[in-house]
Amino acid sequence: MKITVKAFATFREVMDMQIELEFPEGATVRTLLSELTGRYKGLGEMMFADPDTLRDFVNILKNGRNIHFIAGLATPLDEGDMIALFPPAAGG
Amino acid sequence: MEDPYMSKESSDTRFLRQIPLFGKEGQTKLQNARVLLAGAGGLGSVIATYFAAAGVGYIRIVDEDVVECSNLNRQILFHEQDLGVCKVEAAEKTIHALNSDVEVDAVCRHIDETSVGDLVQGMDLILDGMDNFTARYVLNRAGLNEKIPFIHGAVNGFYGQVTTLIPGVTPCLRCIVPTTPTWEKNAIIGVTCGAIGSVETSEAIKYLTETGKLLENRLLLWDGLRGECESIQIMNSPDCTDCGFSEGEPYGRRSSV
Repeated sequence: MKITVKAFATFREVMDMQIELEFPEGATVRTLLSELTGRYKGLGEMMFADPDTLRDFVNILKNGRNIHFIAGLATPLDEGDMIALFPPAAGG
Repeated sequence: MEDPYMSKESSDTRFLRQIPLFGKEGQTKLQNARVLLAGAGGLGSVIATYFAAAGVGYIRIVDEDVVECSNLNRQILFHEQDLGVCKVEAAEKTIHALNSDVEVDAVCRHIDETSVGDLVQGMDLILDGMDNFTARYVLNRAGLNEKIPFIHGAVNGFYGQVTTLIPGVTPCLRCIVPTTPTWEKNAIIGVTCGAIGSVETSEAIKYLTETGKLLENRLLLWDGLRGECESIQIMNSPDCTDCGFSEGEPYGRRSSV
Protein backbone atom coordinates (compact mmCIF):
# COMPACT_ATOMS: atom_id res chain seq x y z
CA MET A 1 0.00 0.00 0.00
CA LYS A 2 1.08 3.52 -0.73
CA ILE A 3 1.41 6.09 2.06
CA THR A 4 2.19 9.80 1.79
CA VAL A 5 4.21 11.40 4.58
CA LYS A 6 4.44 15.13 5.09
CA ALA A 7 6.93 16.66 7.50
CA PHE A 8 6.67 20.15 8.94
CA ALA A 9 8.77 22.73 10.76
CA THR A 10 11.96 21.44 12.39
CA PHE A 11 11.47 17.89 11.06
CA ARG A 12 12.27 19.39 7.67
CA GLU A 13 15.78 20.05 8.91
CA VAL A 14 16.49 16.31 8.80
CA MET A 15 14.01 14.86 6.29
CA ASP A 16 12.17 15.58 3.05
CA MET A 17 9.06 17.77 3.18
CA GLN A 18 7.06 15.04 1.48
CA ILE A 19 7.75 11.41 0.65
CA GLU A 20 5.70 8.52 -0.70
CA LEU A 21 6.40 5.06 0.65
CA GLU A 22 5.16 1.52 -0.04
CA PHE A 23 4.39 -0.86 2.80
CA PRO A 24 2.99 -4.40 3.03
CA GLU A 25 -0.41 -5.02 4.63
CA GLY A 26 -0.28 -4.96 8.41
CA ALA A 27 2.18 -2.07 8.61
CA THR A 28 1.75 0.38 11.46
CA VAL A 29 2.97 3.85 12.34
CA ARG A 30 5.87 2.12 14.11
CA THR A 31 6.80 0.41 10.80
CA LEU A 32 6.67 3.76 9.06
CA LEU A 33 8.84 5.52 11.65
CA SER A 34 11.33 2.67 11.58
CA GLU A 35 11.63 3.15 7.82
CA LEU A 36 11.98 6.93 8.16
CA THR A 37 14.53 6.87 10.99
CA GLY A 38 16.61 4.37 8.99
CA ARG A 39 16.45 6.63 5.98
CA TYR A 40 17.11 9.99 7.66
CA LYS A 41 20.06 10.43 9.98
CA GLY A 42 19.20 12.31 13.16
CA LEU A 43 15.44 11.78 12.88
CA GLY A 44 15.34 8.93 15.39
CA GLU A 45 17.04 10.98 18.05
CA MET A 46 14.80 13.90 17.28
CA MET A 47 11.58 11.89 17.58
CA PHE A 48 12.16 9.24 20.24
CA ALA A 49 12.88 9.61 23.97
CA ASP A 50 13.49 5.84 24.03
CA PRO A 51 12.74 3.12 21.46
CA ASP A 52 9.09 2.85 22.56
CA THR A 53 8.33 6.44 23.46
CA LEU A 54 7.90 9.42 21.19
CA ARG A 55 9.03 12.76 22.55
CA ASP A 56 6.10 14.86 23.76
CA PHE A 57 6.33 17.37 20.91
CA VAL A 58 6.03 14.73 18.21
CA ASN A 59 2.53 14.88 16.82
CA ILE A 60 1.49 12.44 14.13
CA LEU A 61 -1.79 12.83 12.31
CA LYS A 62 -3.26 10.01 10.24
CA ASN A 63 -5.61 11.65 7.74
CA GLY A 64 -6.05 14.49 10.23
CA ARG A 65 -6.56 12.47 13.42
CA ASN A 66 -3.84 12.34 16.05
CA ILE A 67 -2.54 8.78 16.54
CA HIS A 68 -2.57 9.51 20.28
CA PHE A 69 -6.34 8.94 20.02
CA ILE A 70 -6.10 5.92 17.69
CA ALA A 71 -3.54 3.36 18.83
CA GLY A 72 -0.31 5.33 19.15
CA LEU A 73 2.64 3.66 17.44
CA ALA A 74 0.46 0.57 16.82
CA THR A 75 -1.96 2.62 14.68
CA PRO A 76 -2.47 0.62 11.48
CA LEU A 77 -1.66 2.15 8.12
CA ASP A 78 -4.10 1.93 5.24
CA GLU A 79 -3.83 2.43 1.50
CA GLY A 80 -3.72 6.11 0.60
CA ASP A 81 -3.09 7.39 4.12
CA MET A 82 -1.68 10.86 4.55
CA ILE A 83 0.56 10.95 7.59
CA ALA A 84 1.58 14.39 8.88
CA LEU A 85 4.49 14.78 11.29
CA PHE A 86 4.68 18.08 13.13
CA PRO A 87 6.31 19.54 16.21
CA PRO A 88 3.87 22.27 17.23
CA ALA A 89 5.23 25.76 17.65
CA ALA A 90 4.47 26.88 21.19
CA GLY A 91 5.65 30.46 21.46
CA GLY A 92 3.69 33.64 21.16
CA MET B 1 -10.71 75.27 14.42
CA GLU B 2 -10.94 71.61 13.64
CA ASP B 3 -7.93 70.12 11.92
CA PRO B 4 -9.29 68.32 8.87
CA TYR B 5 -6.54 65.72 9.08
CA MET B 6 -7.43 64.91 12.68
CA SER B 7 -11.20 64.91 12.23
CA LYS B 8 -12.76 61.55 12.84
CA GLU B 9 -15.73 62.61 10.67
CA SER B 10 -17.51 59.30 10.42
CA SER B 11 -16.54 55.67 10.50
CA ASP B 12 -17.58 55.55 6.84
CA THR B 13 -14.53 57.65 5.99
CA ARG B 14 -12.18 55.89 8.34
CA PHE B 15 -13.09 52.46 7.02
CA LEU B 16 -13.68 53.54 3.43
CA ARG B 17 -11.18 51.07 2.05
CA GLN B 18 -12.42 47.99 3.89
CA ILE B 19 -16.20 48.48 3.86
CA PRO B 20 -16.37 47.14 0.26
CA LEU B 21 -15.16 43.80 1.69
CA PHE B 22 -18.10 43.23 4.05
CA GLY B 23 -20.41 46.23 3.80
CA LYS B 24 -21.45 48.75 6.44
CA GLU B 25 -23.25 45.91 8.14
CA GLY B 26 -19.95 44.06 8.53
CA GLN B 27 -18.30 47.19 9.89
CA THR B 28 -21.08 47.53 12.45
CA LYS B 29 -20.49 43.90 13.45
CA LEU B 30 -16.82 44.67 14.07
CA GLN B 31 -17.80 47.75 16.06
CA ASN B 32 -20.14 45.66 18.22
CA ALA B 33 -17.70 42.76 18.66
CA ARG B 34 -16.12 41.87 21.98
CA VAL B 35 -12.91 39.89 21.76
CA LEU B 36 -10.62 38.34 24.33
CA LEU B 37 -6.98 38.70 23.37
CA ALA B 38 -5.02 36.31 25.59
CA GLY B 39 -1.44 37.54 25.68
CA ALA B 40 0.18 40.84 24.76
CA GLY B 41 3.38 39.43 23.29
CA GLY B 42 4.52 39.00 19.70
CA LEU B 43 1.23 37.58 18.43
CA GLY B 44 -0.89 39.78 20.71
CA SER B 45 0.87 42.89 19.39
CA VAL B 46 -0.05 42.11 15.81
CA ILE B 47 -3.59 41.04 16.66
CA ALA B 48 -4.31 44.12 18.83
CA THR B 49 -2.91 46.50 16.22
CA TYR B 50 -4.96 45.09 13.35
CA PHE B 51 -8.08 44.84 15.51
CA ALA B 52 -7.74 48.52 16.42
CA ALA B 53 -7.06 49.51 12.82
CA ALA B 54 -10.06 47.52 11.58
CA GLY B 55 -12.40 49.07 14.16
CA VAL B 56 -13.14 46.15 16.48
CA GLY B 57 -15.16 47.79 19.26
CA TYR B 58 -14.02 46.06 22.44
CA ILE B 59 -10.71 44.36 23.15
CA ARG B 60 -10.08 42.65 26.48
CA ILE B 61 -6.31 42.21 26.50
CA VAL B 62 -4.80 40.03 29.21
CA ASP B 63 -1.15 39.67 30.21
CA GLU B 64 0.64 39.70 33.56
CA ASP B 65 4.12 40.76 32.41
CA VAL B 66 5.96 44.05 32.14
CA VAL B 67 7.75 45.19 28.99
CA GLU B 68 11.36 44.00 28.79
CA CYS B 69 14.10 45.00 26.38
CA SER B 70 14.20 41.51 24.83
CA ASN B 71 10.51 41.89 23.85
CA LEU B 72 11.19 44.74 21.45
CA ASN B 73 12.37 42.59 18.52
CA ARG B 74 8.80 41.43 17.97
CA GLN B 75 6.27 43.03 20.31
CA ILE B 76 5.35 45.99 18.17
CA LEU B 77 2.80 47.38 20.62
CA PHE B 78 5.71 48.56 22.77
CA HIS B 79 8.42 51.17 22.43
CA GLU B 80 11.62 51.96 24.32
CA GLN B 81 9.85 54.32 26.72
CA ASP B 82 7.57 51.44 27.80
CA LEU B 83 10.37 49.37 29.36
CA GLY B 84 9.32 48.28 32.84
CA VAL B 85 5.68 49.26 32.27
CA CYS B 86 2.86 46.76 32.62
CA LYS B 87 2.28 45.36 29.12
CA VAL B 88 -1.48 45.77 29.04
CA GLU B 89 -1.24 49.43 30.13
CA ALA B 90 1.31 50.17 27.42
CA ALA B 91 -0.84 48.20 24.96
CA GLU B 92 -3.91 50.26 25.80
CA LYS B 93 -1.99 53.49 25.06
CA THR B 94 -0.76 52.22 21.69
CA ILE B 95 -4.21 50.94 20.72
CA HIS B 96 -5.81 54.28 21.66
CA ALA B 97 -3.16 56.23 19.77
CA LEU B 98 -4.21 54.31 16.68
CA ASN B 99 -7.97 54.27 17.31
CA SER B 100 -9.42 56.11 20.29
CA ASP B 101 -12.87 54.62 19.68
CA VAL B 102 -11.78 51.13 20.72
CA GLU B 103 -12.81 50.21 24.24
CA VAL B 104 -9.84 48.46 25.85
CA ASP B 105 -10.20 46.36 28.96
CA ALA B 106 -6.57 46.02 30.09
CA VAL B 107 -6.29 43.10 32.49
CA CYS B 108 -2.96 42.42 34.23
CA ARG B 109 -3.71 38.87 35.33
CA HIS B 110 -2.41 35.31 35.05
CA ILE B 111 -4.60 33.10 32.86
CA ASP B 112 -5.48 29.86 34.64
CA GLU B 113 -8.51 27.78 35.61
CA THR B 114 -9.37 30.28 38.35
CA SER B 115 -9.30 33.44 36.26
CA VAL B 116 -10.46 32.18 32.85
CA GLY B 117 -14.18 32.09 33.69
CA ASP B 118 -14.25 35.84 34.34
CA LEU B 119 -12.04 36.58 31.36
CA VAL B 120 -14.17 34.82 28.74
CA GLN B 121 -17.45 36.18 30.14
CA GLY B 122 -19.39 38.05 27.44
CA MET B 123 -16.75 37.49 24.74
CA ASP B 124 -17.56 36.63 21.12
CA LEU B 125 -14.13 35.19 20.35
CA ILE B 126 -10.90 34.12 22.02
CA LEU B 127 -7.62 34.95 20.29
CA ASP B 128 -4.49 32.99 21.15
CA GLY B 129 -1.47 35.15 21.90
CA MET B 130 -0.07 32.85 24.59
CA ASP B 131 3.47 31.52 24.79
CA ASN B 132 2.70 28.13 26.37
CA PHE B 133 0.34 25.19 25.94
CA THR B 134 -0.71 25.03 29.60
CA ALA B 135 -2.54 28.34 29.23
CA ARG B 136 -3.77 27.41 25.76
CA TYR B 137 -5.47 24.28 27.13
CA VAL B 138 -7.17 26.44 29.77
CA LEU B 139 -8.50 28.75 27.04
CA ASN B 140 -9.44 25.75 24.89
CA ARG B 141 -11.58 24.27 27.67
CA ALA B 142 -13.14 27.63 28.50
CA GLY B 143 -14.05 28.10 24.85
CA LEU B 144 -15.65 24.64 24.73
CA ASN B 145 -17.59 25.22 27.96
CA GLU B 146 -18.90 28.61 26.88
CA LYS B 147 -19.16 27.70 23.17
CA ILE B 148 -16.85 30.52 22.15
CA PRO B 149 -14.60 29.99 19.12
CA PHE B 150 -10.88 29.89 19.88
CA ILE B 151 -8.47 31.04 17.21
CA HIS B 152 -5.21 29.22 17.90
CA GLY B 153 -1.84 30.49 16.75
CA ALA B 154 1.71 29.80 17.85
CA VAL B 155 5.22 30.59 16.65
CA ASN B 156 8.70 29.10 16.88
CA GLY B 157 11.57 30.70 14.99
CA PHE B 158 10.50 31.04 11.36
CA TYR B 159 7.73 28.45 11.87
CA GLY B 160 4.16 28.85 13.02
CA GLN B 161 0.70 27.34 12.93
CA VAL B 162 -2.88 28.63 12.98
CA THR B 163 -6.35 27.15 13.06
CA THR B 164 -9.85 28.30 13.91
CA LEU B 165 -11.44 26.06 16.52
CA ILE B 166 -15.21 26.20 16.78
CA PRO B 167 -16.98 24.12 19.45
CA GLY B 168 -19.21 21.52 17.85
CA VAL B 169 -17.85 22.18 14.36
CA THR B 170 -14.12 21.51 14.47
CA PRO B 171 -11.66 19.56 16.60
CA CYS B 172 -10.42 21.31 19.73
CA LEU B 173 -6.79 22.13 20.48
CA ARG B 174 -6.39 18.95 22.55
CA CYS B 175 -7.51 16.80 19.59
CA ILE B 176 -4.59 17.94 17.49
CA VAL B 177 -1.95 18.48 20.19
CA PRO B 178 -2.89 16.09 23.04
CA THR B 179 0.10 16.71 25.31
CA THR B 180 2.09 19.78 26.27
CA PRO B 181 5.15 19.98 24.05
CA THR B 182 8.10 20.63 26.37
CA TRP B 183 10.89 20.59 23.82
CA GLU B 184 10.92 23.84 22.00
CA LYS B 185 13.43 26.29 20.69
CA ASN B 186 12.65 29.69 22.11
CA ALA B 187 14.19 31.66 19.29
CA ILE B 188 11.65 33.99 17.79
CA ILE B 189 11.60 36.80 15.28
CA GLY B 190 8.94 39.47 14.79
CA VAL B 191 8.14 38.65 11.18
CA THR B 192 6.81 35.20 12.14
CA CYS B 193 4.53 36.83 14.72
CA GLY B 194 3.45 39.17 11.92
CA ALA B 195 2.54 36.30 9.62
CA ILE B 196 0.73 34.15 12.18
CA GLY B 197 -0.87 37.04 14.09
CA SER B 198 -2.21 38.43 10.81
CA VAL B 199 -3.82 35.13 9.84
CA GLU B 200 -5.38 34.87 13.31
CA THR B 201 -6.80 38.40 13.01
CA SER B 202 -7.97 37.72 9.47
CA GLU B 203 -9.85 34.67 10.75
CA ALA B 204 -11.42 36.76 13.52
CA ILE B 205 -12.53 39.49 11.13
CA LYS B 206 -14.03 36.91 8.75
CA TYR B 207 -15.83 35.19 11.61
CA LEU B 208 -17.21 38.45 13.01
CA THR B 209 -18.31 39.81 9.63
CA GLU B 210 -19.43 36.42 8.26
CA THR B 211 -17.15 36.79 5.27
CA GLY B 212 -15.25 34.14 3.32
CA LYS B 213 -14.37 30.63 4.40
CA LEU B 214 -12.80 30.02 7.79
CA LEU B 215 -9.71 27.94 8.52
CA GLU B 216 -11.96 25.27 10.01
CA ASN B 217 -10.91 21.63 10.26
CA ARG B 218 -7.57 22.59 8.77
CA LEU B 219 -4.27 23.46 10.38
CA LEU B 220 -2.22 26.02 8.51
CA LEU B 221 1.51 25.44 8.93
CA TRP B 222 3.79 28.32 8.00
CA ASP B 223 7.42 27.73 7.11
CA GLY B 224 9.06 31.13 6.75
CA LEU B 225 12.47 29.54 6.40
CA ARG B 226 11.48 27.99 3.09
CA GLY B 227 8.69 30.39 2.09
CA GLU B 228 6.22 27.48 2.21
CA CYS B 229 2.72 27.38 3.59
CA GLU B 230 0.33 24.44 3.67
CA SER B 231 -2.92 23.64 5.38
CA ILE B 232 -3.63 20.04 6.36
CA GLN B 233 -6.87 18.38 7.33
CA ILE B 234 -7.49 17.97 11.07
CA MET B 235 -10.21 15.89 12.72
CA ASN B 236 -11.79 15.75 16.14
CA SER B 237 -11.35 12.65 18.23
CA PRO B 238 -14.29 11.07 20.02
CA ASP B 239 -11.80 10.10 22.74
CA CYS B 240 -10.44 13.59 23.26
CA THR B 241 -10.29 14.34 26.98
CA ASP B 242 -11.39 17.94 26.43
CA CYS B 243 -14.11 17.83 23.77
CA GLY B 244 -14.78 14.12 23.18
CA PHE B 245 -18.35 13.06 23.54
CA SER B 246 -19.96 9.96 24.88
CA GLU B 247 -23.57 8.91 24.49
CA GLY B 248 -26.03 11.37 25.95
CA GLU B 249 -23.49 14.14 26.16
CA PRO B 250 -23.48 16.75 23.46
CA TYR B 251 -20.19 17.42 21.74
CA GLY B 252 -18.17 20.08 23.47
CA ARG B 253 -19.62 19.79 26.94
CA ARG B 254 -17.64 16.93 28.42
CA SER B 255 -14.96 19.17 29.83
CA SER B 256 -17.31 21.07 32.15
CA VAL B 257 -15.53 21.61 35.44
